[in-house]
Amino acid sequence: MNRIDGTFKSLRHRNRTAFIPFISIGDPDLETSFEIAKTLIDNGADLIELGYPFSDPMADGKVIQRSYERAIKNRISINDAFDFIKRLKEYRDIPVIFFTYYNPVFVMGHGFSLGAAKAGIDGVLVVDLPPEESGELTKHTLKQNIYQIFLLAPTSGRKRMEYVLSFARGFVYYVSVTGVTGIRKAVSETVSEKVGAIKKISGIPVGVGFGISGKEQASEVKKYADAVIIGSKIIQFIENNIRDKSLMLRDISGFARSISSVL
Amino acid sequence: MTMPDKMGHFGIYGGRYISETLMPAITELEESYKKIRKDKDFLKEFNFYLKNYVGRPSPLYRAERLSRVYKSDIYLKREDLNHTGAHKINNTIGQALLAIHMKKRRIIAETGAGMHGVATATVCALFGLECEVFMGKKDVERQKQNVFRMELLGAKVNPVDSGAQTLKDAMNEALRDWITNVKTTYYMIGTVAGPHPYPQMVRDFQSVIGREVLSQAKKLPDILIACIGGGSNAMGLFYPFLKYKNVKMYGIEAGGRGIKTGFHAASISGGKPGVLHGNKTYLLQDEFGRIKEAHSIAAGLDYPGVGPEHSYLADEKRINFDSVTDEEAVEAFQNLCVLEGIIPALESSHAIAYLEKIKKEIRGKSVVINLSGRGDKDMHTVSDYLQEKK
Repeated sequence: MNRIDGTFKSLRHRNRTAFIPFISIGDPDLETSFEIAKTLIDNGADLIELGYPFSDPMADGKVIQRSYERAIKNRISINDAFDFIKRLKEYRDIPVIFFTYYNPVFVMGHGFSLGAAKAGIDGVLVVDLPPEESGELTKHTLKQNIYQIFLLAPTSGRKRMEYVLSFARGFVYYVSVTGVTGIRKAVSETVSEKVGAIKKISGIPVGVGFGISGKEQASEVKKYADAVIIGSKIIQFIENNIRDKSLMLRDISGFARSISSVL
Repeated sequence: MTMPDKMGHFGIYGGRYISETLMPAITELEESYKKIRKDKDFLKEFNFYLKNYVGRPSPLYRAERLSRVYKSDIYLKREDLNHTGAHKINNTIGQALLAIHMKKRRIIAETGAGMHGVATATVCALFGLECEVFMGKKDVERQKQNVFRMELLGAKVNPVDSGAQTLKDAMNEALRDWITNVKTTYYMIGTVAGPHPYPQMVRDFQSVIGREVLSQAKKLPDILIACIGGGSNAMGLFYPFLKYKNVKMYGIEAGGRGIKTGFHAASISGGKPGVLHGNKTYLLQDEFGRIKEAHSIAAGLDYPGVGPEHSYLADEKRINFDSVTDEEAVEAFQNLCVLEGIIPALESSHAIAYLEKIKKEIRGKSVVINLSGRGDKDMHTVSDYLQEKK
C-alpha cells in the first residue's frame, strides 16, 4: 500500500480532513525551508507538498513564481531536493507529494523515479502533465509504488472527470478556481457542487487547493472535501519575514495550528 | 503517415502538455478547428482577406544580382510585402476568423519582437475584437515602435516583468491569463508551437506561402531556405514541398554569438528534447531541465524552443538544420540592401546569410528563400550593432 492511502484511511477513521501545506524546496534557502517543513509537520500537516523550482511556472501566480525564483537563485539541484526529502522523512514519515513541471522530470528519464523512490517520495504531481501524456512517466513511477496525482478544475465537465478519475491514485486535486495559484478572499460557490460531482463518480479522496488562505475557507472546504491544500499563504509568511527567520517560523507554526484546529 | 496523429504528436514530439484547467478549452479549439478546416465558406472568407487585405499572393521575385553573385538561380518569396510587413498576418487572419466562429471576442497573444503582436492587433482592429498582448519588459524597451503600433491599433500591451522578461516569459503570462479567463478568451499563438492543435493549425494557415511558390515557380526548386525561431515561416514554405523528395530544405536557426559560446537561440542545433509551453520539442535547457535564455540579434528568433514538427523533421533528416551568427546575419542584411534594394528583417537575413555557407552546393541550382519580413523595425538594432563594431 502507498502511504497516501494509509494516511487518508486513518484520517477518515478519526473523522478528520487532511491538511496539506505547500512550500518550495530551497526558499528562502535550503536549511530554512527544511526548518519550515519541520515546523509544518510539528503543527498539524498530515501530508506535505514540496515544490521543486522550475524556470517557467506557467500555472502559478506571482507568489509562487517568486518563491521558485528565490529557490533557483540558491541553485537547488534535483539531488538537493531528494536529500531534503530523505532527511525530512527521517524526521517524520508523513506522505510527501513532489510538485513540479514536466521538463525537469522528463530530462531525467527513469532516473527520476529511482531517485524519488530512494528519497521516499509517495506522490508526484506534475502540473503540466495531463493523463493523456502521462504514460511515459507512469511506467516508471508504478514500478516504484509512487502515485501520480492528477488534477480536476472548474472547467472539467463530467466526461473529463470520469477520464481523469480513471487514472487517479491516492487523491485527486481539485483546483478550486479558474486561474493560477494564489490567494483569494472566498471559496468559489461552485466548489462544493463540483466536489460532489467527483464523489459521485469515484470514492477517491478529494483535496481542494488554489486560493485557500484562512480558517474560514478551510472549515468551509472541510464540509465536503478530504483535504485542504494551502500554498501561497504560507509562502507569503516567508516573504513578509524574509530577514527574520524566527518570526517566519513563528508565523507559520501559528498559521498551521489554526488551520489544523478546524480540520 | 499524416502528421500529427490524433493526439497532436509528430513522432515523439508535440502533444498536449498543459494544466488541467485548459484541457476543455483546447479540446473545444481542436473541435472547432476540425470543423472549419476544410469548410468551403471558411476557406472562402480566409482567402478573401488574404487577397484583399493582406495583398496576397506575394511575389516570387528572381533576385538578379544576388543570383549572379552566387552563380545560381535565387528567388525571394516576398512575405515582406504583406500588410504589416511579415508573414505573421497569414496566421492571425485565420485564427481571428476561427475565434469569431467560436464566439470568443477577447483575444490574447504573446509577442517577442512585436511582429506577431502587431499582426494580432491588426486583425483585432479589422474584426472589432478586444486585444491584449503580452510582451517581455525587455522587449517592450527595445521594440518601442512596435509597442506604439499595437497601441495605435487599439491593443493593450502588458509588459511582463517575470523571469528573463522576454518572449518565453510573455508566453508564460499569456498562458496564465488564458487559464484565468479561459471561458471568454481566445489565445492566438504566433508560431507552429504550443499544445495541439496550434502547431498543425498555424502550419495550415502559413502553408499558403509554399502553395503559392509551387504555382509561381516554373519548375520545382532544388533548394528551399528559411530562418527558424518557432518556425512558422519555414513550415509555411516547406510543408507543401515535403512530398517532393528531391527538394532539399534548410532551416536556419539563430547562432547568436556562436553555438559554442552558449549565447544563441538554436534549439535544434544546440539544444535537446524537452517539454515547454504545451509541447515536446527541442529546447535550450540546463542539466536540471530549466529553460535557458535565448540570444539573438533578431528578436523574432529569440526563443528557447521550436515547433514540434521541426523537431520531428530534424530527427528524420528531412529538413537540414544549421545556424548562422549575428555577425553573418547582419552582413547578409547589408548585402541584400545594396544588391537588391530590399531591406530584409534581421530574422530573414539569417536565411540569406546561409547562401554564403552553401555557395558551392547552390552553384547552377535554383533556390527559394523565404523573405519572411521587412527590416524597418530593425533600423536601431542594426545601426547600434554597426556602431559598436567600429
